[in-house]
Amino acid sequence: MTDTPNDPKASGWYGEKYSANLKKRHKSERLFRRLGLSAILIALGLLGILLFSIVGKGYTAFIQTYITLDITFSESVIDKDGTRDPVKMRSASYGNLVRDALRKEFPEVTQRRDLRALFGLVSKDATQQLRKMIAADPSLIGKTIPVRMLASDDVDMFEKGYISRDVVQDDRRVKDNELEWLDALQADGAISTHFNTRFFTGGDSREPEMAGIWGAMVGSFYTLIVTFLISFPIGVMSAIYLEEFAPKNKLTDIIEVNINNLAAVPSIVFGLLGLAIFLNVAHLPRSAPLVGGMTLALMTLPTIIIASRAAIRAVPDSIRQAALGLGASPQQAAFHHILPLAMPGILTGTIIGLSQALGETAPLLMIGMVAFIADIPGGVFDPATVMPVQIFLWADSPERAFVEKTSGAIMVLLGFLIFMNAIAVVLRKKFERRW
Amino acid sequence: MQSLVEESAATEQQTEFNSVISAKRVNVFYGDTQALTNVDLEVPENQITSLIGPSGCGKSTFLRCLNRMNDTVDGCRVEGEILLDGVDIYGPGVDEVLLRARVGMVFQKPNPFPKSIYDNVAYGPRIHGLAANKDELDEMVLTSLEKAGLINEVQNRLHSTGTSLSGGQQQRLCIARALAVQPEIILMDEPCSALDPIATAKVEELIEELKENYSIIIVTHSMQQAARISQKTAFFHLGEVVEVGDTEKIFTSPSDERTQGYITGRFG
Ligand SMILES: Nc1ncnc2c1ncn2[C@@H]1O[C@H](COP(=O)(O)OP(=O)(O)OP(=O)(O)O)[C@@H](O)[C@H]1O
Ligand SMILES: [Mg+2]
Repeated sequence: MTDTPNDPKASGWYGEKYSANLKKRHKSERLFRRLGLSAILIALGLLGILLFSIVGKGYTAFIQTYITLDITFSESVIDKDGTRDPVKMRSASYGNLVRDALRKEFPEVTQRRDLRALFGLVSKDATQQLRKMIAADPSLIGKTIPVRMLASDDVDMFEKGYISRDVVQDDRRVKDNELEWLDALQADGAISTHFNTRFFTGGDSREPEMAGIWGAMVGSFYTLIVTFLISFPIGVMSAIYLEEFAPKNKLTDIIEVNINNLAAVPSIVFGLLGLAIFLNVAHLPRSAPLVGGMTLALMTLPTIIIASRAAIRAVPDSIRQAALGLGASPQQAAFHHILPLAMPGILTGTIIGLSQALGETAPLLMIGMVAFIADIPGGVFDPATVMPVQIFLWADSPERAFVEKTSGAIMVLLGFLIFMNAIAVVLRKKFERRW
Repeated sequence: MQSLVEESAATEQQTEFNSVISAKRVNVFYGDTQALTNVDLEVPENQITSLIGPSGCGKSTFLRCLNRMNDTVDGCRVEGEILLDGVDIYGPGVDEVLLRARVGMVFQKPNPFPKSIYDNVAYGPRIHGLAANKDELDEMVLTSLEKAGLINEVQNRLHSTGTSLSGGQQQRLCIARALAVQPEIILMDEPCSALDPIATAKVEELIEELKENYSIIIVTHSMQQAARISQKTAFFHLGEVVEVGDTEKIFTSPSDERTQGYITGRFG
């Protein structure tokens, strides 16, 4: 301050103190940037590792091993009386056709135990498959044609390289004699791998090679639809009411605090609530997407309300006043102007809430959505399971083949999430307005 | 009505007029703090009344009382009587939404809706059902834009957004939007404060034209503006009306020394 103000060189702005200060500021700026960058890199790295391990383990779930055998649709097995009665033909034991084909392929196998192992190479699904073929085309009876059938999960695992020949026989799921047969089939060109459409079109199964994620996807879809239909309108309406109409007093303060608290309540508590109210009091069907959706809606509501309120609050007051000043009623102002402008924020909050709901398992366990369900649900009242629960169930199964199914299901779940977020982005773009 | 005019004429000499709004003993509180104290004001019909006074003296508060926009402010309480055509607008049975259609408002900062120019102007007629069909609505939008002196600048882009206009154009759009509702009175809160001199001149010109059909109350910080366009001026100070009278009289020979001080720029 002793410097003359007319001499800028001598004044504080160029003095030693200032340059030291400047250096310090630049240094902390650089440090902050580096920290930020490394934080992002770490996050990306972890995400990369996660994706890598899931994709690495899971991509084989999308292909499946098949065995092609010459099946003779012998009349003596399918239609002993020659009546061609569809009901009778449906109850014939088609497994014998597969067994006969295998016996013909490997006539040297005679021991009961060995035969059982041999028949085990082909999946149980083959029986179903042959039955359907005959039902669709009875003229096949008496003919011999090559049929491509699902291999059992052990064969599939072996073909995918998850079971090594070098392991001693006792520790190996595929025994030496089975290896021999597989090699023989391989040499005949009877073993092939194909895209696993069943994974995307089928329901759950006890047999890993027959298990599909479609049932869980449909279950998740119905559940989320119910969740959305309940939580979106109620959430948005509550947010509008609280922001635009409710008087500001003790009561609304208490409501506000409670909504914020609800958002932090562990999801299992909502599951218990759903169990107590929807199942025990209202007697709604157990394991149904309806109840699952309602339970998840309880969980999603606070998220949607909080996000919607923030979005509504962010609409400039001048818009509100412009509308009211023209003689719009508060309701008209809210629905014509404020709500459309808040929509992008509301949608973001809704998608976040629904994404959480999509990944939620715990509350659904409480209301019985953890049951084994092989059928594809046809509506919100049918028993169903959802994707995360399916993942949980498969991860819990002992068969080696379910490991890849688990990772495959996770990939499908992630795809579902990305799809939902893409919808959110599109909707946001649509509603966004330039100021 | 006659007696009221005489009463105020006794204290402040002014020319005779029909008042469209008369405020009597208006007190406004924000929570516990009083923003206006015993405000009495007569607003003449088909004239321009300007409200002047230092920042925070309660001009906007008073203006918002006249169309009950204060109802939307939390904790705001209005006491006293404000008569519009002899009816107390705070009385029972008065619908504030309808009132706001009769008493239009233009705000300090242009606030067009983020919609097309057409939709901005058409919004009022739409919600009040003023137009019977699309052609009538088109007609209304065009005449409002014409009255607001904006038609030449926007007639080729009625469907581009209102927010893409310049500040001055936006303000005239807001005026057009207010006119489209066909109000009797227009309240303007510093409508030119965000505008450059050329845009200001345009808006002022417009206001003077509008006076033929509307009664206008305008809050302004510009003495010149008040002197240029208004016939009547009220000087507010610390929540009270210190002096009210013909604009010429207020600016040439104010009777209160606080008014004198303010208009000569000694404070405020
Ligand atoms: N919403 C509100 N809540 C609480 N107090 C308010 C509110 N609006 C205005 N006030 C107070 O009321 C008084 C008058 O405010 P008002 O906005 O009417 O002043 P003004 O004359 O329009 O000022 P300016 O010329 O700066 O616009 C001020 O003291 C202000 O702090
Ligand atoms: Mg003001």
